[in-house]
Amino acid sequence: MVDRLSVRRRLRLPPYLLLLFPAVTFMLLMYAYPFVSSFTRSFVGSEGNLTLQNYAKTWDLYLKDVVFTFSVTVFSTSVTAVLAVLLAMYLRFRQSVISRMLVGLYKLPIFIPFVVVAQMMNTFLAPHGLLNLALAQIGLVNIDKPLELFNFWGLSFGFVWKMVPFSVLIIHGGFQMIDNSYIEAARSAGASRAKVITRILIPMSKSSIMVALVLVYSQIVGTFTLPYMLIGGKIPTTITVDIAHRVNYFRDFGVANTLGVFSYLLVLATAIYYLRSSVKRVAEAEPSRR
Amino acid sequence: MNLKRIIVVAGELILLLLVFLVIFGPMMSLFIWSVAIRWYWPSTLPQEVGFDYWRQALGLQKSLAIGAVSIVPAFFLSLSIAIVVVCIAMLIAIPAGYALAKYRIPFAALIMFLFLMPNAFPQQPIFVNLLRIFTRVGLAGTLPGVILVHILVGMVFGVWITSATFRAIPPHLEEAARSVGAGKTRAFFRITMPLAAPGLLASAVFVFITSLDEFTGTFFIGLPWINTLPMTLYSSSGYNMQFASVIAIILLIPSILFMALIQRVLRAEYVGGMG
Repeated sequence: MVDRLSVRRRLRLPPYLLLLFPAVTFMLLMYAYPFVSSFTRSFVGSEGNLTLQNYAKTWDLYLKDVVFTFSVTVFSTSVTAVLAVLLAMYLRFRQSVISRMLVGLYKLPIFIPFVVVAQMMNTFLAPHGLLNLALAQIGLVNIDKPLELFNFWGLSFGFVWKMVPFSVLIIHGGFQMIDNSYIEAARSAGASRAKVITRILIPMSKSSIMVALVLVYSQIVGTFTLPYMLIGGKIPTTITVDIAHRVNYFRDFGVANTLGVFSYLLVLATAIYYLRSSVKRVAEAEPSRR
Repeated sequence: MNLKRIIVVAGELILLLLVFLVIFGPMMSLFIWSVAIRWYWPSTLPQEVGFDYWRQALGLQKSLAIGAVSIVPAFFLSLSIAIVVVCIAMLIAIPAGYALAKYRIPFAALIMFLFLMPNAFPQQPIFVNLLRIFTRVGLAGTLPGVILVHILVGMVFGVWITSATFRAIPPHLEEAARSVGAGKTRAFFRITMPLAAPGLLASAVFVFITSLDEFTGTFFIGLPWINTLPMTLYSSSGYNMQFASVIAIILLIPSILFMALIQRVLRAEYVGGMG
């Protein structure tokens, strides 16, 4: 008995080490190592030498695409933000049969993968696709001169289509956390509905709005499937498409990784915000620790 | 006053119609394409419709048209990959999620960082470097290589959803079980596990769907030999819209079903970074 106890005491590693070991090892090998190599490899030339030549090449060939990626992302994120906040506000204030129907409806696209969204948009936005045909039917578009949408606008439409539902989900969740009593108190003190929105609703759910937008922004920068299937190699295109071309046609990991570093730089601010606020949120919600 | 009510309801109806059209327009377009046998411009709708392409895709009818491949092998490949991925990813994610939820861990913020980073940064550069590394060790273009990438994509969600699930279980329940004589392991399997089961199941289904839908990682690591369902969709998309649309609808169904099932417990952890 005494022996067993002492053996036990000697072997008492903290149990979480064993529990975390497989996941952390996996992440270090499969995530952290490739992440770090995307920086280090961007400084390695074709002969294995240390060089800035990849950056020069990227700057010459792809600066336009970096700008294009950034503008699509900013535009889509802004449109998503406006639509999502408006829809979430409507859903928060209005209790009717129609608003309940909308709650059931708007979430449908959330889990639809980008590869399906891309195929949808491919057929829907095509010069003779359903959108152009429908607009021609009601006389908004001359079918001989259909809207060309395999570009900035179509790409943004695809992103907004996929991202608004996700953002409404998070922002509406934030709005619902605000107790009705705050709103009623402000209203009875004479605040207009606009005041309630700008002084109570939006400031109090700032963090959920920010998290939604930050995730939307960084997802759009990193999305490969939609621009690849919608725009492909046309100029200008997105960084993600360029990376694929660099790897598939030239096996040029140097420039591919440099482009990767550029995409990291585009999300740097949002990534820092997201990581800091997430770690803080998890640390605050620390109820059931032993 | 009455007029105002009518205007509000009319506005709501217009909003409903708009949302309906915007959400279902692209889906309708997919469906029309999947049943379009002959559709020459400038006809608004296909001149000839039927389920021929569905039958060909499902392997019920042979076709000699270019790109007319049966998707049955791709379907079973995707299914088996997803099953293997769920088993391994959950086996790794559940202990990690439990540890993050229940123990005071030194450098916890650093470990959380590691699991949050894939949501915060684009993942494509990771796949590019994995391709480089996998080519060196002979995993590029192989099934194990693709499975490893799918585990990476799914496991991060797995860890966060399971850890949120375990965190929601009050610790005094397990303590009560232990105070009446249950061992640590017994308390875990008799009390904590059953309470966590729904959350764990949801996260397993989520990892499953992530793997079923995964494109970018498979594109880099699996090309040209591992033809999963999304890869088949992509390769037929350029010149055989009907097939691509059939596959897209087949991939659409599980994601909408999952949405319907998960409605009530949906949280931000589930959605950050799909596709």
